[in-house]
Amino acid sequence: MSNGDNGLYPGLNLGAGHGDAHDQAETSVFGFWVFLMSDLIIFGILFVTYAAALDPVGLAGGPGPQALFDMRSIAIQTGLLLLGGAAYGGVSLAVKYDGGAGKVVAWLAICAGLGAGFLFFEIRDFLHQAQEGGIPQASGWLSAYWALVGLHGLHVAVGIAWIGASAAQIAVRGLDDVVKVRLSMLGVFWHFLDLVWIGIFSFVFLVPLS
Amino acid sequence: MTRPNTGELDPGESAKAELRKYALGFVISVVLTIAAFAAVLSPLAPMVKIIAVCAAALLQVATHLRHFLHLSFSGGQSREDLLLVLFSVCLLSIMAGGTVWILADLQGRMHDSEATRAHGAARGDGGATSAP
Repeated sequence: MSNGDNGLYPGLNLGAGHGDAHDQAETSVFGFWVFLMSDLIIFGILFVTYAAALDPVGLAGGPGPQALFDMRSIAIQTGLLLLGGAAYGGVSLAVKYDGGAGKVVAWLAICAGLGAGFLFFEIRDFLHQAQEGGIPQASGWLSAYWALVGLHGLHVAVGIAWIGASAAQIAVRGLDDVVKVRLSMLGVFWHFLDLVWIGIFSFVFLVPLS
Repeated sequence: MTRPNTGELDPGESAKAELRKYALGFVISVVLTIAAFAAVLSPLAPMVKIIAVCAAALLQVATHLRHFLHLSFSGGQSREDLLLVLFSVCLLSIMAGGTVWILADLQGRMHDSEATRAHGAARGDGGATSAP
């Protein structure tokens, strides 16, 4: 069935040792990938909207990238989210190799903490930009910026809420098959957010500052 | 549904090997991220910087897909998953690429004042002659 690198489905496979959870995960995680790909289309279209508005007409005399973006804050956010994404590897491996519920919850807490740190810096940037006159109504470019980066931030917030819900489910039900499958889906979601952030820090922030 | 674990794992998989895979993916991502930021802070020409940032981003997306999302192109996984991802990326590139193409073309036409005036005059004439 699963051979080395290649499991049944994209995402870290639970492995045949997990029996029903492994089989059930294929269908559930596939369904979740369908949702993620529709999400990818939404993000992609917002990226294009942003790119199309990144010219003098789109800026409409409002504040531009040089005035609003803070490279240091962007680097900190990127580091926190990258660490948070990699930390979910700890969750997946603890579930797969029977590390115990305590270990799984501890790694989940690390992921949530790093995600919350990311959100703190992102919201701080948003507030600062709004003070500088960089509100969504100021120009087409700023509308696209707030929609794209805001939607990603919203996803991270939902991810943190989902991590909390998962920890609560582990506390109530223990690490049973249902929870394992849900943790597999959460993992794919959490890593996907990291993937979208690569696009955001590269094309939204770094390209206009080049 | 809640059968206890049998404890049997695939012999080809071990916690150590998979941990190494995550660690490698993380190190590559950190290097590519630093490279992208360093390129922007460097005194290179803007076009070179943009190409460097785009290249680093594409490589990092590939790294995340391989090391964190465990997406495989070698055919060991079910075909539907890979087809789903490839089809979505295909749709997105048609929509995104088409949008950029059309809007860049439109911008070229609208900002060329000579062409705009000639086009506007021609349309004005056409409107006058076809009016009853």
